[in-house]
Amino acid sequence: MQSKLLIFLLSVLFISSAFCQIEKLKWQKADILYEKQNHYNKRNYSFESDNAGEFVTKSLANAYWFFISDVDGDNCPFHPTCSAFLIQSIKETNIFQASLIFLDRFTRDMNLVKSQNQYPRVRTGYFYDPPGNYMLVKERIIYLPPVFIVESE
Amino acid sequence: MKNYLIIFFLVSISVSPQTTSFDFYSPENIKKFADHLFCEADYLRAIEQYGLISKDCTTDFKVMLGYSLLNLYQESNEIFKSISEKSKFYSDAYLLSLKNSLLMKPASVSAQAIKSFDSIQLNSFNKLKTISMLFDDELSISKDKFISPFDENDINTVSLFYDMKTKPLYKSPALAGVMSAVIPGSGKMYVGEWGDGITAFLATGLLAFLAYDNFRADHTTRAWIFTGLGTFFYAGNIYGSIASAQIFNAKINFEFNEGLKLFLEQKNYFLPEYDFCK
Repeated sequence: MQSKLLIFLLSVLFISSAFCQIEKLKWQKADILYEKQNHYNKRNYSFESDNAGEFVTKSLANAYWFFISDVDGDNCPFHPTCSAFLIQSIKETNIFQASLIFLDRFTRDMNLVKSQNQYPRVRTGYFYDPPGNYMLVKERIIYLPPVFIVESE
Repeated sequence: MKNYLIIFFLVSISVSPQTTSFDFYSPENIKKFADHLFCEADYLRAIEQYGLISKDCTTDFKVMLGYSLLNLYQESNEIFKSISEKSKFYSDAYLLSLKNSLLMKPASVSAQAIKSFDSIQLNSFNKLKTISMLFDDELSISKDKFISPFDENDINTVSLFYDMKTKPLYKSPALAGVMSAVIPGSGKMYVGEWGDGITAFLATGLLAFLAYDNFRADHTTRAWIFTGLGTFFYAGNIYGSIASAQIFNAKINFEFNEGLKLFLEQKNYFLPEYDFCK
């Protein structure tokens, strides 16, 4: 009887060790982040500029970011945001053309009934609208269908 | 206790490894295993197994086909270089290499037909060469000549592609710009962006009205501010309309190319189906 009991106990111990849980993280507490992730790159508040026009615009953008945008919150539906779009446009063209590109973007931003079928999106849901498509250079236009999800630039 | 010993003995026998004199690693058995993996669509492991045995024309072509089916077109075309012109699969490999090249870089096929093509292969080659012309910027071939290699099932689709290529539904950037210069926002509407067009019209119209109203009321400073803002928005809208027309045309090109690729995919690039698994 004792030997049977011993074998039974050994069997139980063997089975429990053979089928033990090996995934350490499976039943642990998960730290869920409820904050909405920032869709744009960390803002560069520096005044580094290649020319006077860029310096003036960068200063205005920094002031806008610091005094308005950072306080008001993340409201631009586009990626890059309108202010970042302006700075990128200036870097790639000139102050005059960049202003026209920006005013067009600003008008499109004001459109309250933006078509869902007009822009692709980034992972966080914002409309992906790079300035490269608005330089009036056909070769630079990268058309992406609205169903496309842009992972990274 | 005796019973337990018997059970232990039986279990020991069942868990002892099977030892036979069967040679799993003979070239014949490796080939059989590779063929099995190939038919199970496990191409990467099949290629690995084919690499362990001496090559023949069939295994070379299967390796080439396997790489192509894995979307490794460059590797597939590298294998093609090692296939002899005397191989019975050379013509098939030649066609497959054209398909790989087309998938790597969509452009018209400049290669010529080879003597070893049979009538079916020659027909496939002609279809592939003709349809690949659609990837070029300009199409310099008459419609009748273009659709001539295709059979009745495909002729309507190919004809439609020809029409889309020769008469694309582009929007004129210049016209969009002129339209927005005449009526702000109308250029955007012309390219189908109605919401943006109406917004541009309202924004420019509102600023123009505010400028006019302030001039009328002798508030010249405010009037000039609104005039400046209105002018900026007006110019920005003209610029944006031109850009929108260009993006619209890029969309037409994108959709054409994607549609063509889908059609070619459905037709397996007019290549015959290779079935090594029957």
